[in-house]
Amino acid sequence: MWQEGDEFGPRDMVLTREQLVRYAGASGDFNPIHYDDERARGFGLPGVIAHGMLNMGLMARVLKEEAPAGACLERFGVRFRSMVRPGDPITIGGRVTAIESSDGKTRAHLQVTLGVRDGSPAVSGEAVLSWPAS
Amino acid sequence: MVKYDPDRIGERSEPRVHEIEKGAIRRFAEALGETDPVYFDLEEAERQGYSGLLAPPTFPFTLRRNPIPGLRLPRAGVIHGEQEFTYGRPICSGDVISVVSWLEDVKVREGSRGPMTLVTAASEGSHQDGTMAFWARSVMIVMEGVE
Repeated sequence: MWQEGDEFGPRDMVLTREQLVRYAGASGDFNPIHYDDERARGFGLPGVIAHGMLNMGLMARVLKEEAPAGACLERFGVRFRSMVRPGDPITIGGRVTAIESSDGKTRAHLQVTLGVRDGSPAVSGEAVLSWPAS
Repeated sequence: MVKYDPDRIGERSEPRVHEIEKGAIRRFAEALGETDPVYFDLEEAERQGYSGLLAPPTFPFTLRRNPIPGLRLPRAGVIHGEQEFTYGRPICSGDVISVVSWLEDVKVREGSRGPMTLVTAASEGSHQDGTMAFWARSVMIVMEGVE
């Protein structure tokens, strides 16, 4: 079980254009800034960028993969700080900031970040997971 | 430009009802590189006590909502600033989820690239029996001069 101060990650990955297109299709978000370089540049961007919600989804995936079996996500919130482009090497990690018990449940509070490797966090978030107290 | 009516802050939209399909959950989980069978394999999901395939945590964002009363955002140049979910009873394939949305707050701030408008909107998804499925809050940033 998690203890205060436990860390997970860093989990390294690289987003591909294919993933952006798949995510556009699966989420129904067809904003051209996520698949059309020219139109993305027309909006003052350097080229296509990843959906914020794709980044948040990847963070949630890692969070659930790293969580104790049977843990359930109660709350997850993020702040999108900078953009992520396909081909950028990214890394996802987290830290347990507090553990508390109430109502027969143990709750872990975590900080989760998605960063472009060797850079500042592109997305920073906080999550609460709980599981039945043993 | 953001157009909004401060008198309509908190006014709930018409509910929009969604039937949650297995294919939609699988495609969404696949797009995120998920491998947990709870998102793909009905038998395994049921073995774990779910009534259908479990929807991943950020899936609720894909559920369309009706227009937010009193708010009109520009068609382009809107940046997603923050996103938050609180979860109730999990969403599974076969569930029918009703989503309502409302405007929470509009603020103007001085940013490094000029004035920007921060729009906070919330939505709530409910199961058919009225149990809360999720509550979500989004902050959208609109830069000045965007039409």
